[in-house]
Amino acid sequence: MARPVVLPTSVRASRISLSRRTSLLGYALVAPVVICLLILVVYPFLFGVAISFTNREIGTEGQFVGLANFIYLSRLPSFQKSIVNTLVLVGVVQTMKLVFGLGIALLLNQAIRARQFWRGLILLPWAMPAFVAYLTWKLLYLPQGGAFNVISVGLGFGNIDFLSRELAMPSVILATFWRGFPFWVISFLAALQSVPQEQYEAAAIDGASAWQRFWHITLPGILPVVLVVVLLSTIWTTNSFENIWLITQGGPSDATMTFPVLAYYGLQTLRIGEAAAVSVAMLPVFVTMAFIGVKMLEKE
Amino acid sequence: MLGKLTLRQKIFSYACLVLLAILILFPIYYMLTVSLKTNRDIYRVPSLLLPNPTLANYAELLGRRGFAVNMRNSLIVAGSATVISVLISCLAAYSLVRLRYRGRTWIGRLILFSYLTPASLLFIPLAVIISRLQLGNTLQGLIFTYLTFAAPLSTWLLMGFFRNVPVDLEEQAMVDGATRLEALFHILLPVIAPGLVAVSVFTFTGAWNELLLALIFTTSPEIRTVPVALQYLITGDVFRWGLIMAGAVVAAVPIMTLYYLSQRFVVQGLAAGAVKT
Repeated sequence: MARPVVLPTSVRASRISLSRRTSLLGYALVAPVVICLLILVVYPFLFGVAISFTNREIGTEGQFVGLANFIYLSRLPSFQKSIVNTLVLVGVVQTMKLVFGLGIALLLNQAIRARQFWRGLILLPWAMPAFVAYLTWKLLYLPQGGAFNVISVGLGFGNIDFLSRELAMPSVILATFWRGFPFWVISFLAALQSVPQEQYEAAAIDGASAWQRFWHITLPGILPVVLVVVLLSTIWTTNSFENIWLITQGGPSDATMTFPVLAYYGLQTLRIGEAAAVSVAMLPVFVTMAFIGVKMLEKE
Repeated sequence: MLGKLTLRQKIFSYACLVLLAILILFPIYYMLTVSLKTNRDIYRVPSLLLPNPTLANYAELLGRRGFAVNMRNSLIVAGSATVISVLISCLAAYSLVRLRYRGRTWIGRLILFSYLTPASLLFIPLAVIISRLQLGNTLQGLIFTYLTFAAPLSTWLLMGFFRNVPVDLEEQAMVDGATRLEALFHILLPVIAPGLVAVSVFTFTGAWNELLLALIFTTSPEIRTVPVALQYLITGDVFRWGLIMAGAVVAAVPIMTLYYLSQRFVVQGLAAGAVKT
């Protein structure tokens, strides 16, 4: 075997050892975080999947029961309800955030005075701890002493039960929207401000209408940000627990039951196998979104 | 887009903004007024106004030994999780941004994937693991599990800050004889100090606000954090909304102040709002 000798051996040796030392250092520095995540994310992730195929309870290991938990769940009215509710909640809230988020961002992107002030104001619900925001909305909805009932009685509509079976879901949707929309507005606004001004000037010379400018310049310019925001926020909203737990606890009679809350109740029954199956049933959707998310964020 | 607006457009825009301000401020206003009312004023004569403001709720809350313990617990948990997380994340972020080795891309992906994974998908297996490690109902257990979201968040944000610093700075120091770690601690970290502050604040905020894991892993009152304690006030039998809202204000004001102060350290763009809570 002919070895092309380019460098004196001593230099080569030190080079190799330098690059080897660099990678050793690299591994050593990244190790604490990687070990943490292996123990706290990867292992629980796989362990949760494994548990969901057993009849494990608190204190017992349980046995492999195949798909029994999933078959049980698929017939459980609470589970069916939680799927529908999660879809409705996420679908409506995200559509509202998209429409109003874009609208408000466009509004703020105009020649508005004190834009920094408005930006700070809009950020308020997002800067607030989620549990504080949802406790406050629970208070607003209270039948006795709630602000919305003070208003409705004052206007002559009488007492309205905002947390009744019919109204509980719209009430949770409004609260979830309130807490979540600032993230969308602020991200969209940053994206709008990065669209090159010259493109608008060129379009104006060509006599493009406002709608044409929006469709051909603004939208393509902010699309990457819009996609990332939609994806991140959809993952968080699908899995959010506080909004439901603090306002309705999933009730009344499952009217606002979503899968994180159902899994929480499942853990309290101590039948861990079944409870884990609730989360695992959601995994295909989450994993798909997460894969797309990782790809998008990597590009940044 | 930034062209001159006609008068009608101007009126329309400002009308929308005023409506928006009401939507945002009204719940906050009501929360503040209720925290300043007696029980009697809240339930007997409900009103949007504040006829007899009183600090009685705050006095009662802060005088309660229980709430002081809850605040202390929250401070310990959020503080420790932040220190540990930012420390190990600095090393990891530096390694991933500056050093070349095999498997780097996959480790980066692991961190992003963890960042996206919500606690609601992990809490059941985590409960089993925590009880197996005998960490149930302890602050240590809570600190440990908070690294699930704290470590990926701080690593991800710090990677962004490190990337923005030119490599020349450290290379110059290393030519002058500094080791890599010296260059990291003496050159790089001081340069990104504002970023370090922002990352710490966001990590602290995330841990301070966390409810689900704290609800599951703390069973006795003296281990409860603030969100859990307030949660028990609304699921209990006696509703004391004045007290609950006073607690909410006390929990929210310091953390929101920190959040606003650190906003300006964050690079404009997506990172500005992209903080999982």
